Amino acid sequence: MRVLRRILASGEGFSGLAMLAVLLAVALAAPLLAPGDPLAIAGDPLLPPLQDMAHPLGTDRLGRDVLAALLHGARTTLLVAIGAAAAALGIGITVGTVAGFLGGWVDEVLMRIAEAFQTVPAFLLTLALISVTGPRVTTIVLGIAIGAWMQPARITRAEILSLRERDFVAAARVIGMRPLEIAFREVLPNALTPVVSLAAVVVAAAVLIEAALSFLGFGDPNRVTWGSMIAEGRTVLRRAPYLSIIPGIALVLTVLAVHLAGRGVAHALRSRRVVA
Amino acid sequence: MPAFPLPRRALLAAAAALPLLPRTAGAQGIQHGGRLTVAADSEPPNLNPAIIASNGVFFVASKVIEPLAEASYDGSDGLAPRLATGWTAAADGRSITFALRPGVAWHDGQKFTAADVAFSALEVWKKHQNLGRAVFRDLEAVQTPDAHTAVFRFAVPTPAQLIRNALPALTAVLPKHLYADTDIMKNPANRKLVGTGPFRFAETRPGEFTRLVRNAEYWQQDRPYLNEIVYRVLPDRAAAANALEAGEIQLAAFSAVPLADLDRIAKVPGLKIYSNGYEALTYQLVVEINHRRKELADVRVRRAVAHAIDRDFVVRTIFRGYATTSQGPVPKSDRVFHAPDLAGYGFNPARANALLDEAGYPRGSDGVRFRLRLLPAPFFNETRQFGDYLRQALAVVGIDATIVSNDTPAHIKAVYTDHDFDITVATPVYRGDPAISTTILFQSGLPAGVPFSNQYGYVNPEVDSLIKQAAATIDDAERVRLYRAFQKLVVDDVALINVAEFSFITVARDTVANVSNNPRWAVSNWADTGFTG
Repeated sequence: MRVLRRILASGEGFSGLAMLAVLLAVALAAPLLAPGDPLAIAGDPLLPPLQDMAHPLGTDRLGRDVLAALLHGARTTLLVAIGAAAAALGIGITVGTVAGFLGGWVDEVLMRIAEAFQTVPAFLLTLALISVTGPRVTTIVLGIAIGAWMQPARITRAEILSLRERDFVAAARVIGMRPLEIAFREVLPNALTPVVSLAAVVVAAAVLIEAALSFLGFGDPNRVTWGSMIAEGRTVLRRAPYLSIIPGIALVLTVLAVHLAGRGVAHALRSRRVVA
Repeated sequence: MPAFPLPRRALLAAAAALPLLPRTAGAQGIQHGGRLTVAADSEPPNLNPAIIASNGVFFVASKVIEPLAEASYDGSDGLAPRLATGWTAAADGRSITFALRPGVAWHDGQKFTAADVAFSALEVWKKHQNLGRAVFRDLEAVQTPDAHTAVFRFAVPTPAQLIRNALPALTAVLPKHLYADTDIMKNPANRKLVGTGPFRFAETRPGEFTRLVRNAEYWQQDRPYLNEIVYRVLPDRAAAANALEAGEIQLAAFSAVPLADLDRIAKVPGLKIYSNGYEALTYQLVVEINHRRKELADVRVRRAVAHAIDRDFVVRTIFRGYATTSQGPVPKSDRVFHAPDLAGYGFNPARANALLDEAGYPRGSDGVRFRLRLLPAPFFNETRQFGDYLRQALAVVGIDATIVSNDTPAHIKAVYTDHDFDITVATPVYRGDPAISTTILFQSGLPAGVPFSNQYGYVNPEVDSLIKQAAATIDDAERVRLYRAFQKLVVDDVALINVAEFSFITVARDTVANVSNNPRWAVSNWADTGFTG
């Protein structure tokens, strides 16, 4: 609670979290705000925004409502981003903890694997995985996570390395705890802070990668996403620029919100450490 | 003359360059000279039109390598002579005699003779060409009684009408002296083309451009008008429109300018839109159906799907009016073979719902009757958009379609080799005769893996026997009657669902003359195309 108050106290943290809260509310309420299939053909094609109040943001080339697509797109975007961030952090923290705590050849092997992954640009890795498995939400989440777990892994490992020689670890050994138990129950919670503040970076990257994938036509074609909306709009960019601009703005605001919130969190956690 | 003095050498150079400068040629005010820069969206790795009869290849190669005859709006049989000046078929359908044009030379100086035609027909079209393998299957021998006569002999009676209709696309003639006794598929001349056409192949830079230059020894007097044709690679469709407006290119064919941009482009002064010139290259927007799927094996379900599609909406919004609705496998643009009396399936969701109820697929509690996998071909923007539309149209009648998107090789493998689909969106091409690339979509018993053929599990012995009978009928009127009966049968069966027929749009500067003046203009030789003023 103290941490949350501290996050809200900073201007960045407050505005970021507020924007995220709105986005989350919109995503959760999308089926209520725009009931039915967002891809259904609802009106005349290429209606500009603010002309017909039944379609306040206009319609696309097939006459699908842009507002409904935008609201439902928020769901997909957040689902993919949060899912991918959670998966990336999960993999990263596990690998980092095991590598850092056990050391020796396990550490060597795991870190060489992480380096091997790091040499390939994350986006290419994701793209390759999806072109093999086919574009579905689960594979997109997994694909983004596969390209993003290395940084959390390295940071966790570094933290664990500095913690594992502390007295409380030695004490845990003395009372007979097993090594993995020590690693995950005693050491990891103390190493988590910097890793969690990395979550914002991963989420922001995931939002952008998902958008880029959809833009290139590798998104799930049965769901609306902002990236696919931008790609669709691109073919009529000169005639109906709003089709690309509206989801583009949504994308910018989301990434901005995540970044601001991330900075707020990092700031709050940093000041707590100093206090402690 | 400029007022300032010029060094003598510069004057000499200018004098030498004079023949290259535009000079008036009288007819229609078209001038000789100039460079026509056109937009190209793809670069086929093999440019040989005798091996790969496809529009992407013809777009460049048809200027360099010529067929025996070209499609024409007003010629007899819809043809204009090129390397052949005349053709007569024997009454028994066993042979066709071509009179070949005398005095034609290859770009490397050798003389063009009947031996080149015989070699191309037997060794290339029949053995290697995607379309020729079927049409020239029964070609037994090509006799060359003299240097300018070639007699095609067939093992079984072959309709002359079919061969005539095949001339423009299937009969690009290769130089025998460069291809004989070589590995034809790997011949370097497949990239550096050598032909008899009005333009010579000059150079190509991958990802940038391909350049053709005027063939001064072209057999047609005073042609071509242009000095050069440059194909600028502009894979992005928005870029083509901008390049036209900026004057960087003077022509964009094959709808390189997106249809949605045409309203705007039409208002730009100096640009002209041509919606003709593609009549012999009709693409058909088609829903392919996997008849192996239990629900789709029922003709009532297939009819319901056909009734669920609003063809007018598709033409109006997806093609922005640059298409016509379609009910059968032969397009309206073919006035000879098109069956005008097909009933077809109008847009009628109520009827579709009734048919599905009748077939025994009631709506579940979620309003869904059954689920299908829909694979829109990734070939055109319009196929993808129609896929999105079809999903919604099917949702209205309680069929839940999940779109599965693949890249081109994966799509072709999934549909034509693995049969791993329920319905698709496809764009077969109609090439002037049902026997060239249309009946293969309905004929049963083809091995898996033949792209753009009946891999749908559709079997109707009556259709098979009609196709077989028509292929061996040499009387023109009888062929037409058989193919019309065939159309009625496959439309009744809903073997496929024909939705629309579309061709392409050319946008050109208004100073470019003789654009779209034959039914295959974009893939013809452009000998009479030039700049005015």
